[in-house]
Amino acid sequence: MSATTVDVDTNFISVPIPRPTGWQVAAAQKRGSRHEASGANCEDAYYVVQPVPGLLVIAIADGAGSAKFAEIGANVAVQHGAAHVCAGWELVGDTLGDSIILRLLEEAMSSARSAVQAEAATREVEFQELASTMILVIAHQEFVAAAQIGDGAVVVADAAGEVFSLTAPVQGEYFNETVFLTARNALQIMQLKLWRGEMSGVAAFSDGLQLLCLEWPECLAHASFFKPLLEFIRDTPEEARAASELAEFLHSERVGKLTDDDVTLVVATLRNDHEEG
Amino acid sequence: MSALEQAIEFANNTQPRCPCVLILDTSGSMAGNRIDALNAGLRTFRDELAADEVAGKRVEVAIVEFNTHARVVQDFVTSENFFPPTLTASGGTDMAGGVNKALDLLRERKRQYGANGILYYRPWAFLITDGEIVDSQQVAQRVSDEEKRGGVAFFAVGVEGAKEESLRSISTRPHKMLSGLKFNELFLWLTASLKSVSQTIPGDMVALNNPTGTWELV
Repeated sequence: MSATTVDVDTNFISVPIPRPTGWQVAAAQKRGSRHEASGANCEDAYYVVQPVPGLLVIAIADGAGSAKFAEIGANVAVQHGAAHVCAGWELVGDTLGDSIILRLLEEAMSSARSAVQAEAATREVEFQELASTMILVIAHQEFVAAAQIGDGAVVVADAAGEVFSLTAPVQGEYFNETVFLTARNALQIMQLKLWRGEMSGVAAFSDGLQLLCLEWPECLAHASFFKPLLEFIRDTPEEARAASELAEFLHSERVGKLTDDDVTLVVATLRNDHEEG
Repeated sequence: MSALEQAIEFANNTQPRCPCVLILDTSGSMAGNRIDALNAGLRTFRDELAADEVAGKRVEVAIVEFNTHARVVQDFVTSENFFPPTLTASGGTDMAGGVNKALDLLRERKRQYGANGILYYRPWAFLITDGEIVDSQQVAQRVSDEEKRGGVAFFAVGVEGAKEESLRSISTRPHKMLSGLKFNELFLWLTASLKSVSQTIPGDMVALNNPTGTWELV
Protein backbone atom coordinates (compact mmCIF):
# COMPACT_ATOMS: atom_id res chain seq x y z
CA MET A 1 0.00 0.00 0.00
CA SER A 2 1.53 3.33 -0.99
CA ALA A 3 1.75 6.01 1.66
CA THR A 4 1.64 9.68 1.12
CA THR A 5 3.88 11.65 3.43
CA VAL A 6 3.04 15.22 4.16
CA ASP A 7 4.21 17.65 6.74
CA VAL A 8 1.46 17.74 9.25
CA ASP A 9 0.86 19.09 12.64
CA THR A 10 1.17 15.90 14.67
CA ASN A 11 -1.87 16.93 16.65
CA PHE A 12 -3.86 16.62 13.53
CA ILE A 13 -3.82 13.28 11.74
CA SER A 14 -5.76 13.18 8.54
CA VAL A 15 -7.15 9.99 7.15
CA PRO A 16 -7.51 9.71 3.40
CA ILE A 17 -11.16 10.28 2.55
CA PRO A 18 -12.41 7.43 0.41
CA ARG A 19 -13.54 8.80 -2.90
CA PRO A 20 -15.83 6.51 -4.78
CA THR A 21 -14.49 5.69 -8.19
CA GLY A 22 -17.94 4.56 -9.12
CA TRP A 23 -20.39 1.73 -8.83
CA GLN A 24 -19.85 -1.70 -10.27
CA VAL A 25 -23.26 -2.91 -11.36
CA ALA A 26 -24.59 -6.11 -12.81
CA ALA A 27 -28.21 -6.64 -13.77
CA ALA A 28 -29.93 -9.75 -15.06
CA GLN A 29 -33.40 -10.89 -15.82
CA LYS A 30 -35.15 -14.13 -16.53
CA ARG A 31 -38.52 -14.81 -18.08
CA GLY A 32 -40.39 -17.15 -15.78
CA SER A 33 -41.25 -20.69 -16.87
CA ARG A 34 -44.91 -19.79 -16.54
CA HIS A 35 -44.60 -17.04 -19.17
CA GLU A 36 -42.36 -19.22 -21.28
CA ALA A 37 -45.02 -21.91 -21.33
CA SER A 38 -47.74 -19.51 -22.42
CA GLY A 39 -45.52 -17.68 -24.90
CA ALA A 40 -45.93 -14.45 -22.99
CA ASN A 41 -43.12 -11.95 -22.63
CA CYS A 42 -41.26 -11.28 -19.44
CA GLU A 43 -43.30 -8.69 -17.58
CA ASP A 44 -40.50 -7.41 -15.37
CA ALA A 45 -38.74 -4.24 -16.46
CA TYR A 46 -35.69 -2.53 -15.07
CA TYR A 47 -33.52 0.51 -15.67
CA VAL A 48 -30.07 1.21 -14.23
CA VAL A 49 -28.07 4.41 -14.71
CA GLN A 50 -25.16 6.29 -13.13
CA PRO A 51 -25.96 9.88 -14.08
CA VAL A 52 -22.97 11.33 -12.25
CA PRO A 53 -19.92 9.60 -10.71
CA GLY A 54 -20.84 7.99 -7.42
CA LEU A 55 -24.59 8.11 -7.99
CA LEU A 56 -26.54 5.01 -8.92
CA VAL A 57 -30.20 4.92 -9.88
CA ILE A 58 -32.07 1.61 -10.08
CA ALA A 59 -35.69 1.14 -11.12
CA ILE A 60 -37.49 -2.22 -11.19
CA ALA A 61 -41.13 -2.85 -12.06
CA ASP A 62 -43.05 -6.14 -12.14
CA GLY A 63 -46.15 -6.19 -14.34
CA ALA A 64 -49.33 -7.45 -12.71
CA GLY A 65 -50.29 -10.92 -13.90
CA SER A 66 -53.86 -9.92 -14.49
CA ALA A 67 -53.08 -6.77 -16.48
CA LYS A 68 -53.20 -7.02 -20.25
CA PHE A 69 -50.55 -4.38 -20.90
CA ALA A 70 -48.47 -5.06 -17.82
CA GLU A 71 -45.21 -5.24 -19.75
CA ILE A 72 -45.79 -1.79 -21.21
CA GLY A 73 -46.80 -0.32 -17.87
CA ALA A 74 -43.67 -1.73 -16.22
CA ASN A 75 -41.38 -0.29 -18.89
CA VAL A 76 -42.98 3.15 -18.86
CA ALA A 77 -42.76 3.23 -15.08
CA VAL A 78 -39.05 2.43 -14.81
CA GLN A 79 -37.99 4.74 -17.59
CA HIS A 80 -39.91 7.71 -16.28
CA GLY A 81 -39.04 7.10 -12.66
CA ALA A 82 -35.31 6.88 -13.34
CA ALA A 83 -35.38 9.84 -15.72
CA HIS A 84 -37.09 12.00 -13.14
CA VAL A 85 -34.46 11.19 -10.53
CA CYS A 86 -31.62 11.96 -12.93
CA ALA A 87 -33.15 15.24 -14.02
CA GLY A 88 -33.97 16.22 -10.46
CA TRP A 89 -30.56 15.34 -9.06
CA GLU A 90 -28.99 18.46 -10.48
CA LEU A 91 -31.36 20.52 -8.37
CA VAL A 92 -30.51 18.64 -5.19
CA GLY A 93 -27.17 20.39 -4.96
CA ASP A 94 -24.53 19.78 -2.32
CA THR A 95 -26.75 19.64 0.72
CA LEU A 96 -28.07 16.10 0.17
CA GLY A 97 -30.51 16.50 3.05
CA ASP A 98 -32.86 13.61 3.90
CA SER A 99 -36.06 15.46 3.10
CA ILE A 100 -34.75 16.66 -0.27
CA ILE A 101 -33.72 13.17 -1.33
CA LEU A 102 -36.97 11.60 -0.19
CA ARG A 103 -39.03 14.29 -1.87
CA LEU A 104 -37.16 13.65 -5.11
CA LEU A 105 -38.01 9.96 -4.83
CA GLU A 106 -41.65 10.67 -4.06
CA GLU A 107 -41.93 12.97 -7.04
CA ALA A 108 -40.23 10.45 -9.28
CA MET A 109 -42.73 7.75 -8.28
CA SER A 110 -45.57 10.16 -8.87
CA SER A 111 -44.13 11.08 -12.22
CA ALA A 112 -43.82 7.41 -13.14
CA ARG A 113 -47.44 6.83 -12.16
CA SER A 114 -48.62 9.78 -14.23
CA ALA A 115 -46.62 8.57 -17.20
CA VAL A 116 -48.29 5.15 -16.99
CA GLN A 117 -51.66 6.86 -16.73
CA ALA A 118 -50.91 8.93 -19.82
CA GLU A 119 -49.83 5.83 -21.70
CA ALA A 120 -53.10 4.11 -20.83
CA ALA A 121 -55.02 7.14 -22.07
CA THR A 122 -53.08 7.17 -25.33
CA ARG A 123 -53.88 3.54 -25.87
CA GLU A 124 -57.48 4.09 -24.80
CA VAL A 125 -57.37 1.33 -22.21
CA GLU A 126 -58.06 1.19 -18.49
CA PHE A 127 -55.27 2.46 -16.25
CA GLN A 128 -55.35 -0.89 -14.39
CA GLU A 129 -54.39 -2.73 -17.56
CA LEU A 130 -50.89 -1.28 -17.20
CA ALA A 131 -50.51 -2.22 -13.54
CA SER A 132 -47.11 -3.04 -12.12
CA THR A 133 -45.24 -2.83 -8.84
CA MET A 134 -42.36 -0.35 -8.64
CA ILE A 135 -39.04 -0.04 -6.83
CA LEU A 136 -36.85 3.05 -7.19
CA VAL A 137 -33.41 3.30 -5.57
CA ILE A 138 -30.91 6.15 -5.30
CA ALA A 139 -27.57 4.88 -4.04
CA HIS A 140 -24.68 7.12 -3.14
CA GLN A 141 -21.50 6.87 -1.11
CA GLU A 142 -23.19 8.46 1.92
CA PHE A 143 -26.71 7.05 1.72
CA VAL A 144 -29.18 4.74 0.06
CA ALA A 145 -32.76 5.82 -0.46
CA ALA A 146 -35.59 3.70 -1.81
CA ALA A 147 -39.25 4.10 -2.69
CA GLN A 148 -41.36 1.00 -3.16
CA ILE A 149 -44.94 0.17 -4.10
CA GLY A 150 -45.68 -3.53 -3.99
CA ASP A 151 -43.39 -6.50 -3.54
CA GLY A 152 -39.78 -7.36 -4.23
CA ALA A 153 -37.26 -5.56 -2.04
CA VAL A 154 -34.04 -3.57 -1.64
CA VAL A 155 -31.14 -4.93 0.40
CA VAL A 156 -28.12 -2.92 1.58
CA ALA A 157 -24.63 -4.00 2.68
CA ASP A 158 -22.82 -1.74 5.10
CA ALA A 159 -19.09 -1.09 5.19
CA ALA A 160 -18.52 -4.23 7.25
CA GLY A 161 -20.40 -6.27 4.65
CA GLU A 162 -23.41 -6.92 6.86
CA VAL A 163 -26.65 -7.04 4.90
CA PHE A 164 -30.13 -5.85 5.82
CA SER A 165 -33.45 -5.18 4.08
CA LEU A 166 -34.16 -1.54 3.44
CA THR A 167 -37.67 -2.23 2.14
CA ALA A 168 -39.92 -5.26 2.40
CA PRO A 169 -42.50 -6.88 0.12
CA VAL A 170 -45.98 -5.52 0.79
CA GLN A 171 -48.30 -8.38 1.58
CA GLY A 172 -51.84 -8.93 2.55
CA GLU A 173 -53.18 -12.27 3.76
CA TYR A 174 -52.30 -13.90 0.46
CA PHE A 175 -48.82 -14.36 -0.89
CA ASN A 176 -49.62 -13.35 -4.45
CA GLU A 177 -51.66 -10.27 -3.74
CA THR A 178 -49.96 -6.93 -3.42
CA VAL A 179 -50.38 -3.25 -4.21
CA PHE A 180 -49.70 -1.74 -7.62
CA LEU A 181 -48.51 1.64 -8.86
CA THR A 182 -51.91 2.07 -10.48
CA ALA A 183 -53.81 1.71 -7.20
CA ARG A 184 -55.74 4.77 -6.10
CA ASN A 185 -53.82 5.07 -2.83
CA ALA A 186 -50.47 3.83 -4.15
CA LEU A 187 -48.53 7.03 -3.43
CA GLN A 188 -50.03 7.34 0.06
CA ILE A 189 -48.98 3.89 1.18
CA MET A 190 -45.65 3.80 -0.65
CA GLN A 191 -42.59 2.74 1.39
CA LEU A 192 -40.01 5.53 1.58
CA LYS A 193 -36.74 4.64 3.28
CA LEU A 194 -33.37 6.30 3.63
CA TRP A 195 -30.29 4.90 5.30
CA ARG A 196 -27.16 6.93 5.97
CA GLY A 197 -23.85 5.32 6.51
CA GLU A 198 -20.81 3.97 4.79
CA MET A 199 -22.02 1.29 2.49
CA SER A 200 -20.40 -1.32 0.36
CA GLY A 201 -23.23 -2.59 -1.78
CA VAL A 202 -26.90 -2.65 -2.69
CA ALA A 203 -29.22 -5.14 -4.36
CA ALA A 204 -32.76 -4.79 -5.67
CA PHE A 205 -35.02 -7.53 -6.98
CA SER A 206 -38.54 -8.33 -8.08
CA ASP A 207 -40.80 -10.74 -6.23
CA GLY A 208 -39.72 -13.78 -8.24
CA LEU A 209 -36.63 -13.96 -6.06
CA GLN A 210 -38.07 -12.97 -2.71
CA LEU A 211 -38.70 -16.49 -1.42
CA LEU A 212 -35.10 -17.44 -2.19
CA CYS A 213 -33.23 -14.51 -0.67
CA LEU A 214 -35.38 -13.23 2.21
CA GLU A 215 -36.23 -15.04 5.43
CA TRP A 216 -39.99 -15.06 5.89
CA PRO A 217 -42.18 -13.88 7.50
CA GLU A 218 -39.95 -11.07 8.80
CA CYS A 219 -38.39 -10.62 5.32
CA LEU A 220 -34.85 -10.39 6.62
CA ALA A 221 -32.06 -10.39 4.06
CA HIS A 222 -30.52 -13.86 3.90
CA ALA A 223 -26.82 -13.24 4.42
CA SER A 224 -25.60 -16.40 2.68
CA PHE A 225 -27.42 -15.31 -0.43
CA PHE A 226 -26.24 -11.71 -0.63
CA LYS A 227 -22.70 -11.87 0.70
CA PRO A 228 -21.35 -14.21 -2.00
CA LEU A 229 -23.29 -12.26 -4.60
CA LEU A 230 -21.83 -8.92 -3.57
CA GLU A 231 -18.37 -10.41 -3.26
CA PHE A 232 -18.67 -11.74 -6.77
CA ILE A 233 -19.66 -8.35 -8.19
CA ARG A 234 -16.84 -6.66 -6.33
CA ASP A 235 -14.32 -9.18 -7.66
CA THR A 236 -15.57 -9.05 -11.24
CA PRO A 237 -14.81 -5.63 -12.69
CA GLU A 238 -15.63 -6.73 -16.25
CA GLU A 239 -19.26 -5.74 -16.31
CA ALA A 240 -20.26 -7.92 -19.25
CA ARG A 241 -18.90 -11.03 -17.58
CA ALA A 242 -20.55 -10.18 -14.28
CA ALA A 243 -23.90 -9.67 -15.99
CA SER A 244 -23.63 -12.88 -17.93
CA GLU A 245 -22.78 -14.95 -14.87
CA LEU A 246 -25.59 -13.35 -12.96
CA ALA A 247 -27.96 -14.27 -15.79
CA GLU A 248 -26.64 -17.81 -15.75
CA PHE A 249 -27.41 -18.02 -12.05
CA LEU A 250 -30.98 -16.79 -12.56
CA HIS A 251 -31.47 -19.38 -15.29
CA SER A 252 -30.11 -22.20 -13.14
CA GLU A 253 -32.12 -25.27 -12.31
CA ARG A 254 -31.95 -24.49 -8.61
CA VAL A 255 -33.76 -21.21 -9.15
CA GLY A 256 -36.23 -22.72 -11.61
CA LYS A 257 -37.25 -25.36 -9.09
CA LEU A 258 -38.39 -22.75 -6.61
CA THR A 259 -40.02 -20.08 -8.72
CA ASP A 260 -41.88 -19.98 -12.02
CA ASP A 261 -42.12 -16.20 -11.97
CA ASP A 262 -40.13 -13.60 -13.94
CA VAL A 263 -37.03 -12.63 -12.00
CA THR A 264 -35.05 -9.38 -12.06
CA LEU A 265 -31.93 -8.84 -9.97
CA VAL A 266 -29.65 -5.78 -9.87
CA VAL A 267 -26.53 -5.92 -7.71
CA ALA A 268 -24.00 -3.13 -7.21
CA THR A 269 -20.89 -2.57 -5.15
CA LEU A 270 -19.14 0.66 -4.42
CA ARG A 271 -15.48 0.90 -5.20
CA ASN A 272 -13.50 3.27 -3.01
CA ASP A 273 -10.01 4.65 -3.64
CA HIS A 274 -8.59 3.31 -0.44
CA GLU A 275 -9.42 -0.21 -1.54
CA GLU A 276 -6.85 0.01 -4.27
CA GLY A 277 -3.76 -1.91 -3.20
CA MET B 1 -22.63 -25.22 -11.77
CA SER B 2 -20.70 -21.93 -11.81
CA ALA B 3 -18.66 -20.81 -8.83
CA LEU B 4 -21.20 -18.10 -8.16
CA GLU B 5 -24.06 -20.58 -8.15
CA GLN B 6 -22.22 -22.83 -5.75
CA ALA B 7 -21.47 -20.02 -3.35
CA ILE B 8 -25.01 -18.68 -3.08
CA GLU B 9 -27.32 -20.27 -0.54
CA PHE B 10 -31.07 -19.89 -0.62
CA ALA B 11 -33.15 -18.90 2.36
CA ASN B 12 -34.94 -21.86 3.87
CA ASN B 13 -38.58 -20.88 3.39
CA THR B 14 -41.49 -23.26 3.02
CA GLN B 15 -43.21 -22.87 -0.34
CA PRO B 16 -46.39 -20.84 -0.07
CA ARG B 17 -49.40 -23.11 -0.34
CA CYS B 18 -52.39 -22.82 -2.65
CA PRO B 19 -55.24 -24.84 -1.11
CA CYS B 20 -57.87 -26.10 -3.54
CA VAL B 21 -60.90 -28.05 -2.33
CA LEU B 22 -62.93 -30.00 -4.87
CA ILE B 23 -66.59 -30.37 -3.94
CA LEU B 24 -67.83 -33.33 -5.94
CA ASP B 25 -71.36 -34.55 -6.54
CA THR B 26 -71.44 -38.36 -6.20
CA SER B 27 -75.22 -38.71 -6.13
CA GLY B 28 -77.06 -41.50 -8.00
CA SER B 29 -77.41 -39.48 -11.19
CA MET B 30 -73.63 -39.30 -11.47
CA ALA B 31 -73.34 -43.10 -11.68
CA GLY B 32 -71.98 -44.89 -14.77
CA ASN B 33 -70.12 -42.96 -17.43
CA ARG B 34 -70.20 -39.75 -15.45
CA ILE B 35 -68.41 -40.98 -12.36
CA ASP B 36 -65.93 -42.90 -14.57
CA ALA B 37 -65.13 -39.74 -16.47
CA LEU B 38 -64.86 -37.75 -13.23
CA ASN B 39 -62.47 -40.30 -11.75
CA ALA B 40 -60.35 -40.23 -14.89
CA GLY B 41 -60.35 -36.42 -14.70
CA LEU B 42 -59.09 -36.56 -11.11
CA ARG B 43 -56.18 -38.70 -12.20
CA THR B 44 -55.37 -36.24 -14.98
CA PHE B 45 -55.53 -33.45 -12.42
CA ARG B 46 -53.12 -35.24 -10.16
CA ASP B 47 -50.65 -36.08 -12.92
CA GLU B 48 -50.61 -32.59 -14.38
CA LEU B 49 -50.06 -30.89 -11.04
CA ALA B 50 -47.42 -33.33 -9.84
CA ALA B 51 -45.51 -32.95 -13.10
CA ASP B 52 -45.02 -29.24 -12.44
CA GLU B 53 -41.97 -28.52 -10.26
CA VAL B 54 -43.40 -25.49 -8.59
CA ALA B 55 -47.15 -26.25 -8.58
CA GLY B 56 -46.45 -29.74 -7.25
CA LYS B 57 -45.10 -28.22 -4.06
CA ARG B 58 -47.55 -25.36 -3.78
CA VAL B 59 -51.01 -26.63 -4.69
CA GLU B 60 -52.74 -28.59 -1.95
CA VAL B 61 -55.78 -30.63 -2.85
CA ALA B 62 -58.70 -31.71 -0.70
CA ILE B 63 -61.85 -33.52 -1.81
CA VAL B 64 -65.32 -33.39 -0.32
CA GLU B 65 -67.92 -35.64 -1.90
CA PHE B 66 -71.64 -35.29 -1.37
CA ASN B 67 -74.51 -37.63 -2.09
CA THR B 68 -77.07 -38.40 0.61
CA HIS B 69 -74.46 -37.08 3.03
CA ALA B 70 -71.31 -35.04 2.70
CA ARG B 71 -67.93 -36.57 3.50
CA VAL B 72 -64.29 -35.50 3.43
CA VAL B 73 -62.68 -38.04 1.13
CA GLN B 74 -59.26 -36.35 1.07
CA ASP B 75 -57.92 -33.85 3.53
CA PHE B 76 -55.41 -31.30 2.27
CA VAL B 77 -52.25 -32.76 0.83
CA THR B 78 -49.67 -31.34 -1.57
CA SER B 79 -50.22 -32.48 -5.13
CA GLU B 80 -46.98 -34.44 -5.04
CA ASN B 81 -48.57 -36.61 -2.37
CA PHE B 82 -52.09 -36.66 -3.78
CA PHE B 83 -53.35 -40.00 -5.04
CA PRO B 84 -56.99 -39.58 -6.01
CA PRO B 85 -59.52 -42.01 -4.58
CA THR B 86 -61.87 -43.82 -6.95
CA LEU B 87 -65.30 -42.39 -6.27
CA THR B 88 -68.60 -44.26 -6.62
CA ALA B 89 -72.00 -42.66 -7.07
CA SER B 90 -75.36 -43.36 -5.45
CA GLY B 91 -78.00 -41.69 -3.28
CA GLY B 92 -79.29 -38.16 -2.86
CA THR B 93 -77.71 -34.73 -3.22
CA ASP B 94 -76.69 -32.92 -0.06
CA MET B 95 -75.03 -30.02 -1.87
CA ALA B 96 -75.32 -27.63 1.07
CA GLY B 97 -73.60 -30.20 3.27
CA GLY B 98 -70.82 -30.55 0.73
CA VAL B 99 -70.20 -26.84 0.39
CA ASN B 100 -70.31 -26.29 4.15
CA LYS B 101 -67.87 -29.10 4.82
CA ALA B 102 -65.52 -27.73 2.17
CA LEU B 103 -65.56 -24.22 3.63
CA ASP B 104 -64.99 -25.68 7.12
CA LEU B 105 -62.00 -27.58 5.76
CA LEU B 106 -60.55 -24.41 4.24
CA ARG B 107 -61.02 -22.46 7.42
CA GLU B 108 -59.20 -25.13 9.40
CA ARG B 109 -56.40 -25.28 6.84
CA LYS B 110 -55.81 -21.53 7.04
CA ARG B 111 -55.70 -21.79 10.79
CA GLN B 112 -53.02 -24.47 10.49
CA TYR B 113 -51.02 -22.30 8.07
CA GLY B 114 -51.17 -19.41 10.49
CA ALA B 115 -50.12 -21.58 13.43
CA ASN B 116 -47.11 -22.84 11.47
CA GLY B 117 -46.07 -19.58 9.83
CA ILE B 118 -46.82 -20.92 6.35
CA LEU B 119 -47.57 -18.41 3.59
CA TYR B 120 -50.48 -19.11 1.27
CA TYR B 121 -52.46 -17.97 -1.72
CA ARG B 122 -56.19 -17.30 -1.74
CA PRO B 123 -57.91 -20.69 -1.46
CA TRP B 124 -60.04 -22.14 -4.24
CA ALA B 125 -63.30 -24.02 -3.82
CA PHE B 126 -64.45 -25.84 -6.95
CA LEU B 127 -67.94 -27.36 -7.04
CA ILE B 128 -68.92 -29.90 -9.71
CA THR B 129 -72.53 -31.08 -9.68
CA ASP B 130 -75.33 -32.37 -11.88
CA GLY B 131 -78.04 -31.71 -9.35
CA GLU B 132 -79.85 -28.97 -7.54
CA ILE B 133 -79.95 -27.47 -4.11
CA VAL B 134 -83.33 -27.28 -2.41
CA ASP B 135 -82.70 -24.65 0.23
CA SER B 136 -79.76 -22.56 -0.84
CA GLN B 137 -80.19 -19.57 1.45
CA GLN B 138 -77.73 -20.51 4.18
CA VAL B 139 -75.01 -21.79 1.93
CA ALA B 140 -75.41 -18.95 -0.57
CA GLN B 141 -75.02 -16.48 2.26
CA ARG B 142 -71.95 -18.24 3.58
CA VAL B 143 -70.24 -18.35 0.17
CA SER B 144 -71.09 -14.71 -0.43
CA ASP B 145 -69.76 -13.67 2.98
CA GLU B 146 -66.54 -15.62 2.44
CA GLU B 147 -66.04 -14.08 -0.98
CA LYS B 148 -66.67 -10.60 0.39
CA ARG B 149 -64.11 -11.16 3.14
CA GLY B 150 -61.75 -12.38 0.49
CA GLY B 151 -61.59 -15.74 2.23
CA VAL B 152 -62.08 -17.93 -0.80
CA ALA B 153 -62.47 -17.93 -4.58
CA PHE B 154 -65.53 -20.09 -5.23
CA PHE B 155 -66.35 -21.56 -8.65
CA ALA B 156 -69.20 -23.80 -9.75
CA VAL B 157 -69.41 -26.06 -12.78
CA GLY B 158 -72.65 -27.79 -13.72
CA VAL B 159 -72.77 -31.16 -15.44
CA GLU B 160 -75.71 -31.84 -17.78
CA GLY B 161 -78.86 -32.03 -15.71
CA ALA B 162 -77.66 -29.51 -13.13
CA LYS B 163 -80.19 -26.85 -12.17
CA GLU B 164 -78.45 -23.66 -13.27
CA GLU B 165 -80.66 -21.68 -10.93
CA SER B 166 -79.06 -23.55 -8.03
CA LEU B 167 -75.56 -22.78 -9.25
CA ARG B 168 -76.46 -19.15 -9.77
CA SER B 169 -77.83 -18.86 -6.27
CA ILE B 170 -74.74 -20.30 -4.57
CA SER B 171 -71.91 -18.91 -6.64
CA THR B 172 -71.06 -15.22 -6.58
CA ARG B 173 -69.21 -15.64 -9.85
CA PRO B 174 -70.94 -16.73 -13.03
CA HIS B 175 -71.01 -20.55 -13.10
CA LYS B 176 -70.06 -22.62 -16.12
CA MET B 177 -71.63 -25.68 -17.69
CA LEU B 178 -69.61 -28.71 -18.72
CA SER B 179 -69.88 -29.84 -22.33
CA GLY B 180 -70.75 -33.52 -22.27
CA LEU B 181 -68.35 -35.42 -20.04
CA LYS B 182 -65.22 -33.42 -20.80
CA PHE B 183 -63.82 -33.84 -17.29
CA ASN B 184 -60.28 -34.34 -18.58
CA GLU B 185 -60.33 -31.01 -20.37
CA LEU B 186 -61.92 -29.41 -17.32
CA PHE B 187 -59.18 -30.65 -15.01
CA LEU B 188 -56.41 -29.70 -17.43
CA TRP B 189 -57.87 -26.23 -17.46
CA LEU B 190 -58.16 -26.16 -13.66
CA THR B 191 -54.51 -27.19 -13.38
CA ALA B 192 -53.46 -24.39 -15.70
CA SER B 193 -55.52 -21.93 -13.70
CA LEU B 194 -53.97 -23.09 -10.43
CA LYS B 195 -50.46 -22.93 -11.88
CA SER B 196 -50.99 -19.32 -12.81
CA VAL B 197 -52.21 -18.46 -9.34
CA SER B 198 -48.70 -17.48 -8.27
CA GLN B 199 -48.78 -14.50 -10.58
CA THR B 200 -49.24 -11.32 -8.60
CA ILE B 201 -52.61 -9.68 -8.80
CA PRO B 202 -54.40 -6.97 -6.89
CA GLY B 203 -56.66 -8.32 -4.16
CA ASP B 204 -59.92 -7.63 -5.87
CA MET B 205 -59.29 -9.30 -9.14
CA VAL B 206 -59.56 -13.04 -8.63
CA ALA B 207 -61.24 -14.48 -11.65
CA LEU B 208 -61.01 -17.45 -13.92
CA ASN B 209 -59.29 -15.57 -16.69
CA ASN B 210 -58.12 -18.48 -18.71
CA PRO B 211 -60.24 -19.11 -21.75
CA THR B 212 -62.11 -22.32 -21.04
CA GLY B 213 -61.25 -23.92 -24.35
CA THR B 214 -63.12 -27.05 -25.24
CA TRP B 215 -64.78 -28.09 -22.00
CA GLU B 216 -67.33 -25.35 -21.57
CA LEU B 217 -70.80 -25.78 -23.01
CA VAL B 218 -71.56 -22.64 -24.95
